[in-house]
Amino acid sequence: MKIIIIVILSGLCLFSCRNQSPEPVVWKSIEKDLQQRLILAEDGETIELPEGHFMFTRTLSMDGKKRITIRGKGMDKTILSWKNQTEGAEGIHISNGFNIKLEDFTIEDAKGDNLKVNDTRGVIMRRIRSQWSGGPKTENGAYALYPVLCTRVLIEECIAMGSSDAGIYVGQSDTVIIRNNKAYWNVAGIEAENSKFVEIYGNEAYENTGGILVFDLPGLTTYGHSTKVYNNIIRNNNHENFAQKGNIVATIPPGSGLMILATHDAEIFFNEISHNKTVGLAIVSYELVAALSEGQEDAPGAVAGVQTVNNRFREDTLYNPYPYRILVHRNQFKNRHWFPSMDNDVGKLLAWKSLFNPPDILFDGITDPKREDAEICIGENGKITFINLDAANDFKNLSKDASPFECLKKNPYLDLKL
Amino acid sequence: MFEEEPLFGFKAVRCTALHGILFLIAAACTQQKETTVVVEENLPVPPAQSLPGKATLSAYGFFTGELKNLQPAERVFAYELNSPLFSDYAFKKRFIYLPPGASVNYHPTDVLEFPEGTVIIKNFYYPADFRNPGTNLRILETRLLILENGSWKALPYIWNEEQTEAYLDVSGKNIEVQWIHFDGSARKVNYSIPNMNQCKGCHLRGDRVFPIGPLARQLNKTVNGQNQLARLASLGVLKSLPPLPEVPRLADYEDTSAPLDSRARAWLEVNCAHCHRPDGPAKNSGLHLTADVTKPFELGIGKPPVAAGRGSGGLHYDIVPGHPEKSILYYRITSTDPGIMMPELGKKLVHEEGVQLIRDWIASLK
Repeated sequence: MKIIIIVILSGLCLFSCRNQSPEPVVWKSIEKDLQQRLILAEDGETIELPEGHFMFTRTLSMDGKKRITIRGKGMDKTILSWKNQTEGAEGIHISNGFNIKLEDFTIEDAKGDNLKVNDTRGVIMRRIRSQWSGGPKTENGAYALYPVLCTRVLIEECIAMGSSDAGIYVGQSDTVIIRNNKAYWNVAGIEAENSKFVEIYGNEAYENTGGILVFDLPGLTTYGHSTKVYNNIIRNNNHENFAQKGNIVATIPPGSGLMILATHDAEIFFNEISHNKTVGLAIVSYELVAALSEGQEDAPGAVAGVQTVNNRFREDTLYNPYPYRILVHRNQFKNRHWFPSMDNDVGKLLAWKSLFNPPDILFDGITDPKREDAEICIGENGKITFINLDAANDFKNLSKDASPFECLKKNPYLDLKL
Repeated sequence: MFEEEPLFGFKAVRCTALHGILFLIAAACTQQKETTVVVEENLPVPPAQSLPGKATLSAYGFFTGELKNLQPAERVFAYELNSPLFSDYAFKKRFIYLPPGASVNYHPTDVLEFPEGTVIIKNFYYPADFRNPGTNLRILETRLLILENGSWKALPYIWNEEQTEAYLDVSGKNIEVQWIHFDGSARKVNYSIPNMNQCKGCHLRGDRVFPIGPLARQLNKTVNGQNQLARLASLGVLKSLPPLPEVPRLADYEDTSAPLDSRARAWLEVNCAHCHRPDGPAKNSGLHLTADVTKPFELGIGKPPVAAGRGSGGLHYDIVPGHPEKSILYYRITSTDPGIMMPELGKKLVHEEGVQLIRDWIASLK
């Protein structure tokens, strides 16, 4: 009897372990050689990364190179890890390049951003998996894939997981395509910030805190506009918000599908936006975000904190904090949830104002006083729940009537029928 | 008795087996994660990659006599800065080499205008005992900035243990260093010699490399009883120097007789503003820390972070006047976690004196 039990149980033990870790990973270091290669690379060179698991202690960097390809043997075969990082914040950092292509490898566990590319004309990230292997944690780095201040960016067939800010994050860039990627278990799945001429399509953003964000923020080198978001699946973005407080994404309520913040000329169509429990699509101004992030007590001067922040972002005279010319049509909204996430002010408000039926589309109702019509235009999206918070007037005229925003009524010239 | 024993025995077995199995599972499954053995491996290097500079430091002929004594040869001029960058408490000896007949042009606010062929030479060393900084020195590295064909390039040379030569190594190195600190305590650091790209991490402006230190306001300093700029002018290697009272001067942050504000701004300029400037690598943050910035928002006062990630430490603003403990800037300069700390490079240790200075300064702001 004893023996049988022991045999069975130890069999189970072996089995369970074998299931968890098939083979011990042999980590190798190619750090010195690879860094040297990146420094001395001739323009036009292709640098092949071998198959295997490779550990790095410093940021791997490349600066001022032209037409370089860095290619692994596949995202399951070439694994680069910064788990033991002691220097630099990024895993891979590329700057001042021209036509840089990164393909077919995995980047893991950098202290800061896994892959940052700045001031580069022509960037392709293709079939890169970028992740924090321990899953979603506040201690994880901010961005998995992070092109910033770049022009001509293509990110495709990549996977981003575990970012404590945004998985795929394109900042202050011009002419960007983000397509056919997967982003999950990040605070924000995909984010375009202060970028112009951006197309985000064919992606799956699921189980993040917020699925896809299109943001325009004050005080930066450039401002965003002209974004198309289409054919994406934005589903179950209900993860708790694990962003470090103080960051803008820390204000995102869990259960946010798609969020359009303070940008203009955006078109959102053909997306499946489903089961994001707080709001499917939110169209909001920076004033609302500033007010929400001010709920916390660390405001300078403590009293009238909202006002302080509002005044500060108003110092940026080139910045427009209000969304306008936003066109939303032919998306498919679904929500099986009855309640929004309740660990945030927006969720509580919506639970109260839109009982048992969190909104598919939310507009904060704060518009540019200098603009006669914000041109927030909602076309055919099937049967949807809509809410206009009228946050500008302390929710006094909160309304669930979408008809004032109907496209054809507002833009008779716009024929949305195929 | 007979009936109880097997029962007791069974219980005992079940108990130990379960515990043992749990232990085994835990041990077997965690073991592989804990021990990451990293094996060095070489990449096949493509043939004939030419080095970007001379292979050895001595080949340049900047120094006469024994190399480690750093005795400047002809056309090599020693200089000091009012407020130097903190580099893990390393000491520095700085020189400028100017080609025969060439001279430097004065600039009131920016880096002095150097002639083609200039080499800026910065040696990093640790005395064995900081209380006796002139003897028993260990030189770790020499960084060269060479102005060639109108653009600067940065080259790192690593000294051998015998202190007889330094060799160009583009990919950097880490070296364990120990010393006796000013207060008599034993200190050590895993000193990091940057790779060539890390050099650029600080020296880039736009997409071009620039020197950081040799500004008029940094060199406007009395050394051995004589103003450095005046000395260079009298040697004929510095042109168009205005009368000294018209030359700006950056505070020495260690000079406690100087006003707190100018000391703190000097510390921020030299430790942060090489990146945090409108044309520096951290321009995307919108935080600008050169000593001439006057707008509070650009300086970080009441400014929310842009892409700080966990570097924000859960705080909301770069600087909250009167509250260093609520200021992201202070939080980041007190950290040595690579994902949080500022500056990002060349720092394994906290600059205790600098951190105290910034603490006092933020506390004094209203």
